[in-house]
Order: sequence, then C-alpha cells, then structure tokens
Amino acid sequence: MATVEELAPRTEDEVRAHLAAGKLVEGLRHMSPEYLRGIRRILTVSADTELVSAPSYIRAAQHAPALNNFGSAMSIVQDELAHAHIGYRLLGDLGVDMDALIYERAPDQFKYPYAFDVALDSWYELVLANALYDQAGFVLLSDVHSSSTFGPWKRALAKVDKEETFHLRHGRTWVKKLSADPEDKRRLQSALDWMFILTLEWFGLPDARKRHGIQLEYGFKGLTNDELRQAWMAEVVPFMEEMGLDVPAHHDEEAGRYVIDCPFPAAFDEEAKRWLLDEGPISWDEVIVRWKARGPMNREYVHKLQRWYRAL
Amino acid sequence: MSRSDVWEVFARQTYDEPLHHVGAVTESDEDLALVSARSIYDEQPWIEMIIVPRASIREAIRA
Repeated sequence: MATVEELAPRTEDEVRAHLAAGKLVEGLRHMSPEYLRGIRRILTVSADTELVSAPSYIRAAQHAPALNNFGSAMSIVQDELAHAHIGYRLLGDLGVDMDALIYERAPDQFKYPYAFDVALDSWYELVLANALYDQAGFVLLSDVHSSSTFGPWKRALAKVDKEETFHLRHGRTWVKKLSADPEDKRRLQSALDWMFILTLEWFGLPDARKRHGIQLEYGFKGLTNDELRQAWMAEVVPFMEEMGLDVPAHHDEEAGRYVIDCPFPAAFDEEAKRWLLDEGPISWDEVIVRWKARGPMNREYVHKLQRWYRAL
Repeated sequence: MSRSDVWEVFARQTYDEPLHHVGAVTESDEDLALVSARSIYDEQPWIEMIIVPRASIREAIRA
C-alpha cells in the first residue's frame, strides 16, 4: 500500500491556500499528508459507528412488540449499513484497503463510541438508542454536512441526513407512546438513566482537554466537542422534559447554555449498566482507560460482522 | 479489490431534472453492482438510476 506521503501530493501550505479560497477538497490530488491522515481518521470513526450500530440494533430488535415494528427496526439497520458503506467506500478512494479495514481489524481497533459496546437489551433501550444515539450521530453529521471541506463526503451526507431524521422520528414516536403508560414509562426512565449520560460521553473530551487544531482548521468538522454536546442537549433535554422523563441536565437561562446536573464524567458499572454517581466525578484519564479497553459487546459485535468473511 | 470494481451511481427523481451523481459502489460484477446501487441509494423515489464503471470514465477537465 502506498504511504500517505506518496498519495497526498500537496504541501500543508497549499492545502491552507486552497481552503482559504473557499474551495472543497475533491480527492487525493488536493490533499496534503496531514489532511489525508485527518480525513481518514474522522471517516473511520464515522463509518465504524454506523457499522457497529447494525449488530447492536439487530440484537435489540428481537424484543420488537410486533412484526411490523421489527420491520421498522430492520429498515433502520439497513440504512446504517448503507451509511457505513459510504464512509468505507470513500476511504477506499483515499488509498485504504477496505476489506482489511472492515474484516481483518481486531475488535479493539474499531473507533466507534464506547456507548455501542454496552448491550441494548429491550425494545425500550432500542427506541431510546434511536432518540439519543441517532440524535448524537445526527448532530455530528449535520456539522460535517455543513462544515466539511471534503466534497465527496459533504455531498454523500445529504442521503444520510434524510435517513437519520427517520431514525430519530422512530425513536421519538416510540418514546412518546411508551411515556403514556406508567409501567412503560418507568422502564423507559431506568434505561434513560444510563443511556443519557453515556451519550454525553459520545462527544469526547471537553474542549479544555482537547486540542482541535487541525480538525477545525482543515474543516473536518465545524464545532468543538463541547459545542456539539450542547447542540445535542438542546435537542434531547427539552424533548425528554416534555415527555415527563428526568434527565440530569437543564438549561441555565443566565449562562445561555445547558448544564449537566450529575457528576460528569463518572465511573460506570458496565455489567449492571449503572452509573456510580455516589462516588462523585472521575478524571477524563480514567474514562479514556475504559474507552480504550472497550466494553462488554465489542468482540461479539465485531465477530458477528466479520464471521462470514473469515469463513470464505 | 481493484479500481475497475468501482461503479459510479447516477440518478434523478423527475424528468425535468438531470441525472446527478449520488455515490459509488464496489462490486466485482455488473449484476451485484446493480443490486448494490439500488439497495444502498434508496433514499429517494428515483425514476431513473444508472451505473457506470469508474474505469470507463475519462476526465475532460480536471481542476
């Protein structure tokens, strides 16, 4: 395989001038090594996230209350696979061996958010994943759609945006329906208790801890991690409040932003799917240790995705 | 897979709209590429979709 330096002919200064002129990057011929490394990284995270949602959602869909609900869940899975395909296909054009990336990588080398390593064990958790995780994906990809300097991805996301809106509507419609019944609402709330905080983590390290430098300068994304976390809360918190469900965050009118009301980040008991909030906040370094070790379902999900490739 | 396995996908929703590029698929033969294109790019009710082997494309202008 050609190296990044061999594939990307432009210098960093040439890329900066190209972007400063308001032009999009259309392919390897417009890229510098740093640009290529950066766009590969963010595309891999995005495609891995879409891909792993498939085994996670398929496993949860077995709890569908009726066959037509199972059908809706499967249609979401099919969308997610198509979105993953878009990312990997673009990576293929950027000199990455797609088959090796998808089928030969070790499970702990996948780059999706830790949240997907925790099993979804009920229909309540599946529809909340649509309302929370797909909302997170939607916030992240809308940002890429409006800010990305990589033309082929920016254009491809028109499709993704449209379909993620459907997933979100699926999640919200079900949350609304289930919230109307006291027993369903209780079960929804107990799933929300672990899933809300896990999705807060989705956006990564706080800005004070993370240098975005090149990600923003080269326009791989437009908003910082904290801005994205705020954008997500702005969608989710008012909706959950309207449903009468409790989330540990509220809008601070004076500060003009959302504030998290529980220790964050916190320790997580991944087997019991419970936050150890009584122990108070932990450091981001401790969170990174948990993320890097991956969670309970990582190996099973990746194995499921790679099994038939290995058998061939 | 080699470069020749990539197929570019074009589609349109109405007759007064030109075909436009909607994406690409990677498949080793034409029939699989047709199925992939139809199932992956199903986000709109297209009235026409075509696929073109990338290797057949010649660039007349390249900025």
